[in-house]
Parts: sequence; structure tokens; C-alpha cells
Amino acid sequence: MSCHGSASAPVPGRSGHASLAPLPAILRVLLVGGPNVGKSTLFNALTGARQRTTNAPGTTVELASGRWRTTAHSTAGFAVERAIVDLPGSYSLLARSSDEQITADAIWELARSFSETGLQSGVVIVVLDATALARSLYLLAQVAETGVSLVVALTMLDLASTAADSSTSAVDPDTLAAALATSLGVPVVPVDARNRAAGGMSELARAVDAVAEHPRRVTGIAPPGSFSYCGTTAAASRQHGASGSDLAAELAHAETLFAWVEHLAELVKTCLAPEDRSPAGSSRSLPGSLPGPLPGPLPGPLPGPLRRTFSDRVDVVLLNPWAGIPVFLAVVWLLFELTTRFAAPLQGAIGQLVNGPMAAGVTWLLSLMGLGDNWVQGLLVDGLLVGVGTVLTFLPVMAVMFTALGFLEDSGYLARAAFVADRAMRSLGLDGRALLPLIVGFGCNLPALAATRTLPHARQRLLTGLLIPLTSCSARLTVYVLLAGAFFPQHAGTVIFAMYLTSVLLVLGGGLVLRRTAFRDVRAGPLMLVLPPYQRPHLRTLAMSVRLRVGSFVVRAGKIIVVTMLVVWVLMAVPVTGQHSVGHVPVADSLYYSVASGIAPLLTPTGFGNDHASAALMTGFVAKEVVVGSFAQSYAVAEPGSPARAAGLGEQLRRSFDESSGGRGGAAALAFMVFVLAYTPCVAALAEQRRLFGWRTAASALTAQLAGAWVLAVLVFQVGSRL
Amino acid sequence: MTLPESPLGAELRVTGLRLPAADAFRLSEMGIRLGTLAHVTQHAAFGGRVIAVAGSRFALDGETAALIDVEPVERMG
Repeated sequence: MSCHGSASAPVPGRSGHASLAPLPAILRVLLVGGPNVGKSTLFNALTGARQRTTNAPGTTVELASGRWRTTAHSTAGFAVERAIVDLPGSYSLLARSSDEQITADAIWELARSFSETGLQSGVVIVVLDATALARSLYLLAQVAETGVSLVVALTMLDLASTAADSSTSAVDPDTLAAALATSLGVPVVPVDARNRAAGGMSELARAVDAVAEHPRRVTGIAPPGSFSYCGTTAAASRQHGASGSDLAAELAHAETLFAWVEHLAELVKTCLAPEDRSPAGSSRSLPGSLPGPLPGPLPGPLPGPLRRTFSDRVDVVLLNPWAGIPVFLAVVWLLFELTTRFAAPLQGAIGQLVNGPMAAGVTWLLSLMGLGDNWVQGLLVDGLLVGVGTVLTFLPVMAVMFTALGFLEDSGYLARAAFVADRAMRSLGLDGRALLPLIVGFGCNLPALAATRTLPHARQRLLTGLLIPLTSCSARLTVYVLLAGAFFPQHAGTVIFAMYLTSVLLVLGGGLVLRRTAFRDVRAGPLMLVLPPYQRPHLRTLAMSVRLRVGSFVVRAGKIIVVTMLVVWVLMAVPVTGQHSVGHVPVADSLYYSVASGIAPLLTPTGFGNDHASAALMTGFVAKEVVVGSFAQSYAVAEPGSPARAAGLGEQLRRSFDESSGGRGGAAALAFMVFVLAYTPCVAALAEQRRLFGWRTAASALTAQLAGAWVLAVLVFQVGSRL
Repeated sequence: MTLPESPLGAELRVTGLRLPAADAFRLSEMGIRLGTLAHVTQHAAFGGRVIAVAGSRFALDGETAALIDVEPVERMG
């Protein structure tokens, strides 16, 4: 076999081959690779906007799927369409997390389909990181063993060619791809996903289509003789405590793959060496299949002295035992500021636009149509438009968060953040990266939930996502300020500080309780993390990723927010007395207030079982910012814009809280603040929880939080009123 | 000696992985196996170490690093 060929040489033509595999109408393509190999960037480049994000069935693992359409290489001139799925990053098909299990299951399912039906239902693109070929080749060997047809996409070539200590530095990408293709026996396409026009996308499409028609085997890897779903059983046994003999068998088999990888790496090196052009060099090919005796690893040169890279020099500062943690905290502080102070003016501007000119415009249009000043106007302006406006006001904060996270991820810092914050999160069994969304939650829960996507494992994402609503977002501060000022004017600062301390304790306590109950499987395993090289984020790729993620939020969480706003409007618009018409109802005579009155007795043990408090809590479900406004509305006083007005509202609050608590208004106020802290996030955050984790989880979390908040409030009131 | 006891920049050979079997297996899958050559490139907080293996950088927490035995590589000449 000659080592020097073209990367596309192993790809046969689209016709004239004896062993054509039957093809489905739309070819399924699975994108597989390790973490941080550029897989998702490649997926975005292939699909553009033709993609959607869903949870894998029965799990909270997010999967991106889309349509990959090309016309350039179609000789008939028609568009070729493929269904492509971006599988979770995985080091191995022997899964150790639900994310990795999804990847393993998808590949084995494809292999089983081909084995049982003979129909070539799909092709796997294995993404190889050119800077870490050995690690990538191990995963490729596992994929090849399943018997699926595969194509290799070679990424990170720009980094590999400049890395001081890379074995592939200074190697031309096409030459490296050709050497790999010849050694592996399958197509290898160098890709640069940041360059959609000339980054190898068309070549990749050609290779996938060709392999779909003419399945090829990876040289030196034996496909399964008779089909067995060993991926799942091996992984399942591991997750449920594999026996020593299972593990020993897996390790023994892995050793043969390690040997194959080392041998292949040496063969590639030989292919790249100029002297290999001789017939002697080209005779060093791999044996036909594994398992079987392979020659041991070829003697290679020792690495020699360490050659420090640019990333090593940066890490001297960013991972320094003394400087690393302050730098991490500074990054988190910046995120906090961006999602609060920076986004707030944009949110305000959008709110003003929607509630001002847009509402006026819709009202004017409705009056032209003869629908002004009735319930239709109320429904469209105060219900639908307010709902849409709420979604729109969250767009800046979500866009800012996704941009910042994308920047941190693409630059390579996010993996360092996990390393630096590892010790802090270990007691909760969480990855260090979980600290970032938990801190951001003190600004706003919504972007914090979005930030859980940076965590590598689904169970960790879920646990973090359940703890975030316990972080006291800035909207809750308005409630603390009002009640602390009204009931503890001399110690308002201390009370507010105590609320934030309570929030931290709730996160820690909630985390420990969940770990000992529903999350026993989440453990603080050893931190073994590959640190990607630092690189400059690519703005166009980043912008596209932000656009897609914000779009997903609008479509999937936005409609829940809008529907909730419509329901609230209906409750507020429907009168419970005959003196008012629909849409023209004082709060105290509305169905909304009637429901609040029905809830109030449940709150009696907390000391704040009065109609005003329960109505404010219902409003707080929509948004915590409007709790104060709801109090003002229900007491029929102006919202406190000045100390004098606040004093008026404060007096009303003291009176009704004293009344409902038997003269223990202070304890009832403290219990109310704890309840507001713990009972539920706002509807937008709930919608985001539903988007990320599904209906069942979001509903269970809401129920548990309501129950927990009630118990805490009762405790605070009952203990506080006896002091 | 163990990884945390190794000097910065020294060339090392992995001689022991005293982690639980499943964790040692995953480390092997990632490329850190008995006989692997490595350099410590960074000391981090709480005993954490960054090591260079075959062009990649691996971050290991202090407890994990303490369970990896290494020996200095003797070079001839």
C-alpha cells in the first residue's frame, strides 16, 4: 500500500460499483467526536439555520439535529439532503454518563439497523482532533468496531500546524489527511468549519454519500461477526457497578485498540516521512483485523524536554495557585455585570417600546376596526402584547449570556474555569463549571439556567438547574427592600444580608439533600480534563451560535410565557361580581383576587395568610419585580416611588401582616421573604427549566419548591414569633 | 514519586495508576497509561496539576494527581 495518496482516494465513484448498499430516501448522518474537537462548530456550518434542538427521548440530554443540504456535487443538479445529528461529545463508547450513553446508543442502533436490514440507513462522521490524534483514534476504533460506515473529518489543523509540541506541527493538512486516509482505508477530509465556502464541506458531503453507497471498513479493525449490542450492556454494567471481571475484559479489549492506535500513529508518521516514498516504507501496512497479535508499538523518539506553548504561558497566570481563583471570580463578576447592568438598559428600552408605541399602535388599529375599548383590546394589548413584550425583554439578557459563554468556551477558558472551581463544587458532586451559573443566578435565574449547558453531564446540568431557582435573583431584592424597610427599619441592611446568606445556605442544603436522595448517582469523581489550547473565538461562528440559541429560547420557552400571561390576563379580566364587565374589573373584584383569597387560608400557619400577600405571591409567579406593584395595587395605593409613598404602603403592610399573624408582623414578614426566596422562580425561568429538562421535571421541581418554601416559612414564623 | 511531588517541567514516565479501576480505565482511554511519557506544565491550587502528554494538556485535581506514580526519565548522553 502506498502511503502517499489523496485524502479522497479511498472514496469510490457514485456509480459502477458491484456492492452498492441500498440507500434510504434521506441519509442519516451522526456526528461523533470527543469534547472540544470542533464538532458543534462543524454541525453549525453544515446545517446553517436548518436545525433544531430537542431532548433525547426520556432524558434531559440536549441533541441538535438538522438538515444538511448540498447541490454543488450533485451531477444531476438536484439538492442532496441528509438528516444530521450532533451527538454529545464522548471520549469512549463505554459510556460513563447519560450524555455518553446517548452517543453510544445512537451508533449501536445504526449498526444494528444495518446488520438486521441490510439497508444503509446512515453514516457516522468521526471528528478527529489533529492536535490529539491518538485520543481521537481510540474513539474512531470503537466506532469502527460496531460495523457502521464512517468518514473522518479532521479538525483543528490550524492549531496542530502551529503547536510547538504537536507531532503534526508543520505538516500540510492535505498531506496529513492523505496519510491518515491511506492508513485507515476510509475517507479523511480536512475541514475548517469556520470557512463554510472553502473549508471542506463539499468534500465531506461527497465522502459521506460515497461511503453510504460503498461501505468501507477501517483497516485493522474487525467488524462484529454476529451482532451484539455490547455498547449498552458494557456501559450499563459500568454505571450500575460493573464486576471486576467485566472491567478486566473491557480493559483487555481496550489494550488491543490502544495497540492499534499506537501502531497506526506510527504508520502515519512513516507515511509523512519523505523516505517512506520507497517501496520498503510503503510495505508497512496494518494487519487485516483485530483482535489478533499486533506488532508492539514501534519504537518512537522520546518527547524530550518540554516545549512550552502559548497556552502554557497563559496558564502560568490563569491557573496559578494564587492568581487563578481571583481571575475566575473576576470572570464570573464580569458575567454577572453583563447580564444585569449591561442588559438592563436594553431590557428597559424594549419594554418601553412594547408598552408605549407598539401598544398604542395596536390600540389604534383595533379602534379603527371597531374593536377598541373592549375585552378584545384588553386580551390583545394587556394579555398577548404584554406576553410577547416579556419574551422580547429577555432577549438581551439571553443574547449577552450566550455570547459570553460562547466566548469563554471557544477561547478555551471554560475548561480552565472547571479546573479552578473544582474544589468549591466538589461537596455537591458537581463539576467546577457549575459555580458559574450558580453565581450568575444571583443576578437573574434565566441566563443562569441557560448557562448550565456548559456542564458536561446531563445529571449535573439537572442538579444545577434545580438549585439555581434557590439563588436570590435581583428581582427578589425589591421585595426584601420593601418588607425589611417596613418591618425592620433600623436593621434593614442586616435583614437583606441575611436573606442572601439564607439563599446560599438553601443552595448548599438543597444540593446536599438532592445528592443523598434523587441524585445518588452524581458523584465527585476525579477531575480528568483535557484543556483545549487557547484560541481567538471566531465572531461569525459565535454570532450564528447565539442566534440559534436565542431562537430556541424564543420558540420553546417564549410560547409558555405568552400563554401564562394570557391566563393571568383572563383571571384579572373576569369579574366575580355583577357590577363590572369583562376587562374592566378592579383587582379586588376579579377572579384573580378571588383565587388569591382561596389560597390565603393555606398560608395561615406562615403568618401571612391574608388576601394581599397571596395575591402578591401569585403575581410573583409571573415576575418577582411586580410583587411590590401587586401589593400597591391590592391596597389601592400608588406604587412606592418615593419614601413618603413607601411609608404609606409600609403602614398598610404592617397592619395586614399584624392582623394575619396575631400581632407577630415582623416574624410573618421574615417568613414571607423566605417564601419569596424559595417558592418558585418566575414564569420565564420555569419555561426555561421546561425547555431544558422537560415538563415532568419542571413540574416536579415547582411542586417541591412550593412545599419546601411553605415548610420553611412556617418554621421561620413559628420560631420567630416565639423569640 | 507521585505527580504532585514532581518538579515543574521534568520529563516523567507513568509507573502506576492507583485510582479506582474504572477511573484508571478512563484515564487510559484518554491517553494516560502505564509507560506514558509526560511533563508537569503547571502547579494549580489545592495540589492540582496540568500535565502534557503527546501534545495535549490534562488537568488533574490534587487527589487524582496524588494517585499517579511517576519516575523521572533518564536520558543517555
